[in-house]
Amino acid sequence: MSLIGTDIRRSEDRPLLTGTATFVGDLWREGQLWARVVRSYSPHGILNGIDIDAARESKGVVDVITAADVPDARIPIRLPFAETPQATLALQPLLARDRVRFVGEAVAVVVAEDPYLAEDAAELVVLDLEELDPVADTRTALGAPALHEELGSNVVNVFPMAYGGDVDGAFAAASVVVTDTLRVPRNAGTPLETRGVLADVDESGRLVVWGAAKVKHFNRDVLAGLLELPPERIVLVEGNVGGGFGVRGEFYPEDFLIPFLVIRLGRPVKWIEDRREHFVAANHSREQEHELELAVSADGALLAFRDRFRVDIGAYVRTQGVLMPLITLQQLVGPYAWGAFELDASAVLTNKTPAGTFRAPGVTEATFVRERMIDRAAAELGIDPIELRRRNLIPGNSMPFRFEFGNGAPPIVYDSGDFPAIFAALLERAGYEELRAEQRRALAEGRRVGIGISVFTEMGGIGPWEHARIVPLADGRFCVQCGIASLGQGVQTALAQIAGDQLGVPFDAIEIDHTDTDTVPMGFGAFASRSTVLAGNAIALAAQDLKEKAGDGPLDAARLAAEDIVGEGRFEKEAPSFSFGANLSVVEIDPETGSVHVVKHVVAFDVGRAVNPTLLRGQLAGGAAQGIAGALWEELPYDDDAQPLVTSFVDYLMPTAEDLPPIDVVVLEFPTAGNPLGLKGGGEAGVAGAPAAVANAVADALGEAGAGVNELPLSAARVRALLGSG
Amino acid sequence: MKPPPFAYARAGSLEEALDLLAEGSEDVKALAGGQSLVPALSFRLVRPSHLVDIDGIAGLDEIRESDGRLSIGALARHAALARLERAGSWGALAAAARAIGHDAIRVRGTLGGSLAHADPAAELPVVALALDAELLLASRGGRRTVAAADFFLGPFTTALAPGELLVETTFAAPPAGARTAFCEFATRTGDFALACVCVGVGPGWARIAVGGVGATPVRAPQAEALLAASGADAVEEAAATAGRELEVYGDRTANEGRRRDLVRTLTRRALAEALGSA
Repeated sequence: MSLIGTDIRRSEDRPLLTGTATFVGDLWREGQLWARVVRSYSPHGILNGIDIDAARESKGVVDVITAADVPDARIPIRLPFAETPQATLALQPLLARDRVRFVGEAVAVVVAEDPYLAEDAAELVVLDLEELDPVADTRTALGAPALHEELGSNVVNVFPMAYGGDVDGAFAAASVVVTDTLRVPRNAGTPLETRGVLADVDESGRLVVWGAAKVKHFNRDVLAGLLELPPERIVLVEGNVGGGFGVRGEFYPEDFLIPFLVIRLGRPVKWIEDRREHFVAANHSREQEHELELAVSADGALLAFRDRFRVDIGAYVRTQGVLMPLITLQQLVGPYAWGAFELDASAVLTNKTPAGTFRAPGVTEATFVRERMIDRAAAELGIDPIELRRRNLIPGNSMPFRFEFGNGAPPIVYDSGDFPAIFAALLERAGYEELRAEQRRALAEGRRVGIGISVFTEMGGIGPWEHARIVPLADGRFCVQCGIASLGQGVQTALAQIAGDQLGVPFDAIEIDHTDTDTVPMGFGAFASRSTVLAGNAIALAAQDLKEKAGDGPLDAARLAAEDIVGEGRFEKEAPSFSFGANLSVVEIDPETGSVHVVKHVVAFDVGRAVNPTLLRGQLAGGAAQGIAGALWEELPYDDDAQPLVTSFVDYLMPTAEDLPPIDVVVLEFPTAGNPLGLKGGGEAGVAGAPAAVANAVADALGEAGAGVNELPLSAARVRALLGSG
Repeated sequence: MKPPPFAYARAGSLEEALDLLAEGSEDVKALAGGQSLVPALSFRLVRPSHLVDIDGIAGLDEIRESDGRLSIGALARHAALARLERAGSWGALAAAARAIGHDAIRVRGTLGGSLAHADPAAELPVVALALDAELLLASRGGRRTVAAADFFLGPFTTALAPGELLVETTFAAPPAGARTAFCEFATRTGDFALACVCVGVGPGWARIAVGGVGATPVRAPQAEALLAASGADAVEEAAATAGRELEVYGDRTANEGRRRDLVRTLTRRALAEALGSA
């Protein structure tokens, strides 16, 4: 029986459940010191000086450093896409130099004998600041002086994208035009384990850095460059990681500062981020404002749409560059056979925490704004929102489907799947007609029940490549090395299934090794729902290589080990793959308080091929929980002076299990021809359509007032206001 | 999020605690369950020079009922209050305790701690005010009793003098046949209330106290008068009056109008529950 497609239990769970798992906070090195980062309390100011004398004299303090002590370097972009060179003019320094640009920006580091003393001393660092006018939102940013003078403007990039023919003509010919401004607030991935770095020099003189996650190899190379060390003199070690969600594991200033201090002081140094720091220092995400127009014919054909949107990327361009507007554009189009569209995205700087990605980046925002407008159009036309979607979904027999843009711009290609079939599977699983009947009964009793739908295309499985190496072991097992990362998604289990399957050996005969940059010298990491797709196919190639080298007959690991035979495979993937998913949410509103209760939530998703269906369902349900959180509760607001208003879990309203409904998952498998295993990414899809479906359900429950649902989160206060104070 | 330095002493008895509190000057704080104080220390929002840990004092967690009066020791946990009978005279107290945080908080947090901390959005101070609680304060110099109405002076500010410890809270016997209820609105399960209401209704007797809307919990006297006069017939009007008559503040999470709206809804719901028509 094939190991691919079976529900094997997660091999990751035993240490986690028995308390033997090791997180960076659990590690301790003989003689270690503790670092405390001093952060700017001001969103914007000229930094005339930093007085560190009192901090230096404070009990237990070993060192205090400022920008004057570290290289005048900037943290580079990890995955350059279509950035213009301007983006590199807004990169973040290692410590603020001459100017601070957001509350939470690192300005100094105190090192002391214990974390309490370090925090005591950090309070004594005094900034000599000349306050500047803060820029709190993208509208203000457009007319404000440039935050980065060399850039000359607060707009880092503008990305236009147009498809099809005459957009103006389509609008002129349309029976229904819907127009709105829609907003997605700041959110953050908010892993429950905050960031942490512990570094030391080992007996062979190499710098060892614990606490790595997500993209170890890139981070090792950046660190090597900043420290002017050869990469092979640095080892980044990944332990257990308490959640990634796009945030954890990118290269932040602390990823340089702590190793730098180890070399400077000749002692191990540890830094564990606290929650208040995390809320202002780690990447934020999602904040966008869209001005959307839809043109629809009388019979419900989606003729064209226009969208001009701005992404608030905060004070600096970080490692993910201006990916956020770019991937929003790529996923705004969605699964519909548009006649034409005209889009324009910009990345705008403000005096807020810099932005990166948060699980299902771009697609979540794009799906919310587009699917809200589809429902608005359906209401204008007086047809059921599922009917409007059915009429416009790209049919299965049109695959592969391409949106071509000309001028050398890469097309958007949907290579496989059957969107209408997947949509039908969602409606059948949810029992759509019966839900509508229940809704009518509830409405007759005066209860406010709403049903919401969303559909989306998700870009995943981003390349460029991943490498795998299969090393036969003397004990009869096979060690599979690859450069991805485990963030809790179960990737070790899934990859071991693929390896066992491809080698024709049992699951237990596989060991997956991905945890340090020493034994696994190359890799791209865990993001964009790529780990299983990229590493899985690399493993398949390495297995093929090993079998060819081993000759005929069953694989004998011990013999191969004795002969030093290993299998190598490199899977290259030029284009991302798109998949399709759909969500249905049922909500009930308490009209007196405005409180929204999600009663039911169903996710349907085409994953190409499910390596481990149970793991995948867990990923999709967990993602949906995060999406519902964004729809109803989570927000990182700033006041008009760019001061963050939410810096703890008292105010960042992450839901608990008590606040969430049971989540039903339908997994569909339409294998892609884009890789030999037929896989599509599944790690983020649960999030992508959830806010849109919940918002559409709330709008449905609100009736006519539902047209006002154009902003998240749908807090009880906002919903109550939409209902009117009757 | 590590506390600044402080001296710590664990009291083995009430007498020892009062001695330690007297010695520690104004900078001393009593530590009970620690569910508010410890986070405040970690955020460096409070910087006491001394902490006197009273959590191990035997017998300070007793709950006694006599002559219809309910006396509760300072260390009685929210979880113990939540187990009081759910309907009738003490229904509101049990309901308020159940609305606090989550299990892990309720098994540590104490009634005395909650009242002495005096968070304007906390549940138990509202119940204390509504149900005419009397608070027994002890110090090395002696003991005195303060009515809940005189105890809460402002946000996180009470009538406790330096060196004084809240040791027991006594709820007066409500009139025969009276029933109480508690309702709150919090964004997530276990959050502090954006607004909460404790009501008591009996023959010729009415209590409506509201929390989360101002510096301290407050009574709604006009609404109470309507209710005392007309009972169940006055529920809608009393609720509307409560929503109008109080001074209410607004902030980012709920502006003034939103809070008034919630007070009206919660008052009506609490009254309906107390009157058995929910």
